[in-house]
Amino acid sequence: MSKLLSLNIVEINQKLKNKEIKPLDLVLEAFDNIEKNSDLNCMITLNKEKAVERAKELESLEVDNLLFGIPIILKDNIVTKDLRTTAASKILENFIPVYNATVVDKINEHKMIIIGKTNMDEFAMGSSNQTSYFGPVLNPWNKKLVPGGSSGGNAAAISSCIVPLALGSDTGGSIRQPAAFTGIVGLKPTYGRVSRYGLIAFASSLDQIGPMTKNVYENALLLNAIVGLDDKDMTTKELEAEDFTRLIGNDIKGMRLAIPNYYLSEMIDSEIRNKMIEIIEMLKRKGATIDYVNIDYLEYAVPLYQIIALAEASSNLARFDGIRYGYQTDDYRDIDEMYKKTRTEGFGDEVKRRLMIGSYVLSGENAKQYYEKALKVRNAMRNSFVKIFKQYDLIIGPTTTSVAYQLGSDHDDVLKSFLDDIHTIPANMTGLPAISIPIGFNKDYLPIGMQIIGDYFAEAKIYQLAAFIENELKLVLNPNEKEG
Amino acid sequence: MIALEPVIGIEIHVELNTKSKVFSKALASYGSKPNTNINVIDLGYPGTLPTLNKEVVRQAIKVAIILNCNLNKVMHFDRKNYFYPDVPKNYQITQSRTPIGYDGYLDIEVDGETKRIGISRVHIEEDTAKSNHINNKTLLDFNRAGIPLLEIVTQPDISNAREAMIYVETLRQMLLYSEVSDVKIEEGSMRCDVNISMKPKSSNELGNKIEIKNIGSIFGVGESIKYEIDRQTELINNNVLIEEETRRYDDKTNTTILMRVKETGNDYRYFPEPDIPYVELTDEWIEEMRRGIPRMPNERYRDYLEVGINDIVANKLIGNKSLSDFFEILLKNNVNLINAANILTSDVAGYLNKNNVSLKDTKLEVDNFIKLLTLLDKGDISSKIVKELLPDMLANGTDVEKLIAAKGTKIISDETQLTTIISDIISNNSSAVIDYQNGKDKAIKYLMGEIMKATKGQANPVLARDILINILKKQ
Repeated sequence: MSKLLSLNIVEINQKLKNKEIKPLDLVLEAFDNIEKNSDLNCMITLNKEKAVERAKELESLEVDNLLFGIPIILKDNIVTKDLRTTAASKILENFIPVYNATVVDKINEHKMIIIGKTNMDEFAMGSSNQTSYFGPVLNPWNKKLVPGGSSGGNAAAISSCIVPLALGSDTGGSIRQPAAFTGIVGLKPTYGRVSRYGLIAFASSLDQIGPMTKNVYENALLLNAIVGLDDKDMTTKELEAEDFTRLIGNDIKGMRLAIPNYYLSEMIDSEIRNKMIEIIEMLKRKGATIDYVNIDYLEYAVPLYQIIALAEASSNLARFDGIRYGYQTDDYRDIDEMYKKTRTEGFGDEVKRRLMIGSYVLSGENAKQYYEKALKVRNAMRNSFVKIFKQYDLIIGPTTTSVAYQLGSDHDDVLKSFLDDIHTIPANMTGLPAISIPIGFNKDYLPIGMQIIGDYFAEAKIYQLAAFIENELKLVLNPNEKEG
Repeated sequence: MIALEPVIGIEIHVELNTKSKVFSKALASYGSKPNTNINVIDLGYPGTLPTLNKEVVRQAIKVAIILNCNLNKVMHFDRKNYFYPDVPKNYQITQSRTPIGYDGYLDIEVDGETKRIGISRVHIEEDTAKSNHINNKTLLDFNRAGIPLLEIVTQPDISNAREAMIYVETLRQMLLYSEVSDVKIEEGSMRCDVNISMKPKSSNELGNKIEIKNIGSIFGVGESIKYEIDRQTELINNNVLIEEETRRYDDKTNTTILMRVKETGNDYRYFPEPDIPYVELTDEWIEEMRRGIPRMPNERYRDYLEVGINDIVANKLIGNKSLSDFFEILLKNNVNLINAANILTSDVAGYLNKNNVSLKDTKLEVDNFIKLLTLLDKGDISSKIVKELLPDMLANGTDVEKLIAAKGTKIISDETQLTTIISDIISNNSSAVIDYQNGKDKAIKYLMGEIMKATKGQANPVLARDILINILKKQ
């Protein structure tokens, strides 16, 4: 195994510039890695023919940026022209889009090479990658465990060094929680930072596309490439261009950090809590000030998510009706039966469960009792975060309450699976940027993740702290080398 | 039997005439081949997002202003969720909570009396695809999906068929004058739904209402209301309980036909559209729109009567916006407005009808027309000559003076020459002279006609008339 893709991107870039290697070498290695790790079930669709073609095209072009020629994988809810996009659902099993998501155009502009589309929870609904129509993804650190979700395919692939770069989506923690479960770096940018045009919507007011990578620097590099105002997405913001790597390497002396008491409660696995406390102590020694704070409404994260995310989902997924694209049932008497059978057969159980809850909370009087109340609480939660950021630079805490768990263990424990996201949901509800980075392992050598939440559009500052911790810990994060 | 009276409200959908659709950049146009003016957004493809066409908001502001509405200065869009094949996303983007305009009114003139019709709301929404039922298949044309619509809803202030028809016609003209829509009811760019119920005259308690959908003409609005009043009155008198129903108007029989009984609790699960941020209507923006609104037809009508134009001609002017717009400019000039109105509504209107064009499409310039009016007023040309000159002025924009010179159209203003001609005519028409002497004014008209015939219309009409009367008096 040539292991080019285990190098960091700056090293790969140097080799490309020196003509020691060609983009095709990287592409072929990526497909080789996929083949060798096929048991992980990371991928839904491979883009081999076009990736090879693109790699050859790039040979004649100047290596003009650090991401030039680097293989990238995309969560399968990001729409790619002429490349099957399924959202891991039977209902889109054979869906070949006719247009590119805005982020895909940006990836092409930066001359990255799309290797394929990754496995995920169906329509991003799930946090263990077990709801995929294409089967579960395994955690490379222990193949009996889940990799987290919904961006589980990305997490497993990045963790196993199949490729260096991935784009996921995060609605309640779908980038950060699998990043924590597999020991990688995953960022959910500020809402409005990255265009959602071409992201198959789960919950429009929460969804955000973000980078998943091996390390902090490369995460910031990938973010540099995908951000920006998009006239196809009215929720994107016009901001001055910035380099998200610019604070990486800076000291953190005097940085004011807040840790919500709620994030170190009894609910948290004790090994995770202890690891978090170790980090807090280290940061204090390095000159950061850390206060334990109360942030109002944090405890409502899960019910908020269940109401708002599922309400929006019930509407967003209504378009899958068998008329214009996607799966259509074979046999029906009338339009109503066509709808009913198509959707009954096309959607998996978890999706149907969520669509029913979502429809319920918007129906008639329920809208007042649930949905409108949830919007008020969401607003209050946003205000309580805004208040914190008047006094603090960043908020820190564990990404998850537990480490990766057994495949199949709580597939049907709906409430428990929502609790996976209890720490990550607030960033979606408020629109704030948040990252998960690895901070160590538990006694079973399973990765533990830490979350850093920043103020609106303060991704650069998040990366500053994340890179500082990464550099202090110098963890070896390759599941294939863990016993060695 | 209890005395009953109808309670009527009208909902109107108007297609706005923007270049592109309300939430996508696809062309908003009619008569194209099915499914050619569409893109992935109009088809509700996975991953697509709506973007708001600002022009739609501008036009909606105008309409809210002319209907005297309050404006929701921070407005948002909502999703109305329901499954139907012509709704590509299975939700329609509309405005439920924050209609752009609310609590307005429109004054209509009914037999010389002003009646105020309350406007409860004006809101923006997207049109659906068009379903074409062929044999037992339904074909969908998405060209219409996403065309911007304004929905204008009245309070239940309308008392009868006549008021309803006047309301729709008044609103239609105002929308036409605001230049936001071509408001062609027959072609579906303006659609009327009527809500009607009956209540005892002595009571304020409303009966169950019947909705009549998609009535295709103003006549149909009147007929369907008349029919419903009779139908519902008879049912009530026979003690039959009226249930809420949706009916349609049948223009062959002038009756309404049951479509469906309303299901109770039709639940559209409205919630704010998360893909479109709140839109702020600034005072500057509203002011700019207000300034851009042309004078409304009722205002123009009043002014036309004031300058001495009769009711029929004034109505004819109002009835053709391009003529009225032209006349608006003349109003600001020192010209004979009555002549101007007469020429516009007869000769010019005739030319426009014959060639099926609007005045805007012709080459007639205001200055040229004013020159024509002045010549006519001074008696330098006759109205017969005006008729001859106009087609060239309309078609080619030729300067009226050059035209007269080129045509060799000379006005005979030589008194001696005219006296000779007129004397001849009088001696050849002794019976007309006797008529005149018997006090019949018609005789003058007849003799003037003869003079014009003899001079090929070139006699100075004012001078000729003076000479004629002088000679007649001496007879």
